[in-house]
Amino acid sequence: MTASRIRAIILKDLREFSRNRFFMFITLLVLVCYVAVFWFLPDSVDETVKIGVSNTILSTTVGGVTESGTAGFALEIYSSEEDLRTAIEEGRDDIVAGIAIPPDFFESVAAGKTPTVLLLTPASLPPEIQLLLDGAVTEIAFGIAGIAPPVDPITEAVVLGTDRAGNQISLQQQMRPLILIMVLMVETFALSSLIAIEVQQRTAVAVLATPVRIVDFLAAKGIFGIGLAFSEVVLLGLLIGAFAVNAPAILVILLLGAVLVTGFGMIAGSYGRDFMGTLLVSMLFMIPLMIPAFGALFPGSAPMWVKALPTYGLVQAIIRVTADGESWSQIAPSLLLLAAWGVAAFAVGAFILRRRVATL
Amino acid sequence: MTTSSNSAAVPAIDVAGVRFSYGDIRAVDDVSFSVASGEILGFLGPNGAGKSTTIKMLTGQLKPEAGDIKILGMNMPGRREEIQARLGVCFEEKNLYLSMTGRENLVFFAKLFGVRDFEPEPLMERVGLSTRLDDRVSEYSKGMKQRLMMARALINTPDVLLLDEPTDGLDPVSAIAIRGLIRHEAERGAAVLLTTHDMHEADTLSDRVAFINQGSILTIDTPDDLKLEYGRRSVRIRTRQGDGVDEQVIALDEAGTEDRIRDAVSVEGLMTIHTEEATLEDIFVEFAGRGLAG
Repeated sequence: MTASRIRAIILKDLREFSRNRFFMFITLLVLVCYVAVFWFLPDSVDETVKIGVSNTILSTTVGGVTESGTAGFALEIYSSEEDLRTAIEEGRDDIVAGIAIPPDFFESVAAGKTPTVLLLTPASLPPEIQLLLDGAVTEIAFGIAGIAPPVDPITEAVVLGTDRAGNQISLQQQMRPLILIMVLMVETFALSSLIAIEVQQRTAVAVLATPVRIVDFLAAKGIFGIGLAFSEVVLLGLLIGAFAVNAPAILVILLLGAVLVTGFGMIAGSYGRDFMGTLLVSMLFMIPLMIPAFGALFPGSAPMWVKALPTYGLVQAIIRVTADGESWSQIAPSLLLLAAWGVAAFAVGAFILRRRVATL
Repeated sequence: MTTSSNSAAVPAIDVAGVRFSYGDIRAVDDVSFSVASGEILGFLGPNGAGKSTTIKMLTGQLKPEAGDIKILGMNMPGRREEIQARLGVCFEEKNLYLSMTGRENLVFFAKLFGVRDFEPEPLMERVGLSTRLDDRVSEYSKGMKQRLMMARALINTPDVLLLDEPTDGLDPVSAIAIRGLIRHEAERGAAVLLTTHDMHEADTLSDRVAFINQGSILTIDTPDDLKLEYGRRSVRIRTRQGDGVDEQVIALDEAGTEDRIRDAVSVEGLMTIHTEEATLEDIFVEFAGRGLAG
């Protein structure tokens, strides 16, 4: 009997949701736009810096130097300095800079002179890349001339956060958790609006004057909220290829994410007085909850306060599965964190909604 | 249809010494009354008198701080679900699902009540909404919404009906239709608790009325007995006197009344004779020292 009543409330909520033009419009808009944005983003990161070299005779030697000692450089050979200049000016061949080596380079070195090696860069080149190329040119010149560099530095980089050298996350992968969380948040607003309407129009009072118990009512709202958020985020996940790696883990992560946002939806719905009020309260939750997802766009370790946000575990779990292919055991800490936040948010949301309905 | 398993001697609604406070404000204080099956009890009082709080305790929405509530012989809130299955409530606010049709609203609540094979058509026919069954409630007028509220209250063929201002703000035609429904339900055997501001409605519909003010019941009796006991009855006699009109008001409860009436009507030029009695509002003012408005 209880199950049939809960089912009736869920179906009623679904009917109301589907008849709300605003919710339907936002839902479709979000799906179409986010999928389009996702597939528009580059899906790989090219870590190689392409440079042009103007001297065909020396290009083989330069190539040998870069292959052996300067990984990350690719060479494009040009017949003359003029050709190289033109290519840089016109932005051809994806070269970021050019090295013009004079034809009499060997002769000058043999004669003990200091030949001039010209580094051609576009004005838009970031200064740090220019500095890098200065060093590279010096090293290449030493390599060609056969004279060892005056120092042999050994550098050990201290990487904050995960070392992504050689394993960069593409913009698509970085955006994936953000897109998934944004969809969850939109559905949070839909749920909170439906709850706010039920509270404001006091239809909840009419429902609770029937044999429906308050726990049935809360269960129905919870199941509807989780179902709505989960189904939409799974649909979006399918459209943006989120299930290519360890699909069961992604499903569990998204389900826990749906539980988490449903809790916040209940809280926002309990406090929302009208459409704008509900929107405002929802935004108060949405903005901080999205911060960990935005943080994933930037390299480096997240500060403590970001790690304390409820969606941090959600974002980390998604990235670690989709980008790094980590296993269940490896993502367990993030999953546990997410589950704890999800249960806590849902319990608090149900408690607040229960109190709100009881005082109607 | 659900039938009461209780004997006729057991009141359908039995409230004894009930008390409830909102913080420091005592909303209901030591309220006791009962309603028998087939009886309509009018609950009269100004806003804030404690009527809605009492109804909320009867529906199980609020738990009394003290006292006992028994509905159909069962303790509320102890056996809340069993009671609610046999309860029909018409709220003061129009708490209907506006984006759903009249049919969908009724079918939804029928599912919550567990009514099998529910057909909304006969019920909508009774409240005069059969042609608007598949229109969204947002398109209904205020009167139509109120009639749908009444239909919703009758979905489970209740043994107890709690009606909070069921005709408030309705046009006369809709109000008459709703009163007809209430009377019909009482004749069917339902116990009806009716809160209203409309003295005429309370007078004509109620078998008994209860006056409530500042959380306490002042008196409970039949409208006629209240008027007889507390009201001032009189006869207003108008006679033509030349070009003018003479008017006499003769109190019926004073000594020598019969002679005065006889003298008044025996003169020439008698125009009209009206008997007058106190309204329930007059009696309420006498009890509470204030009117029902506000």
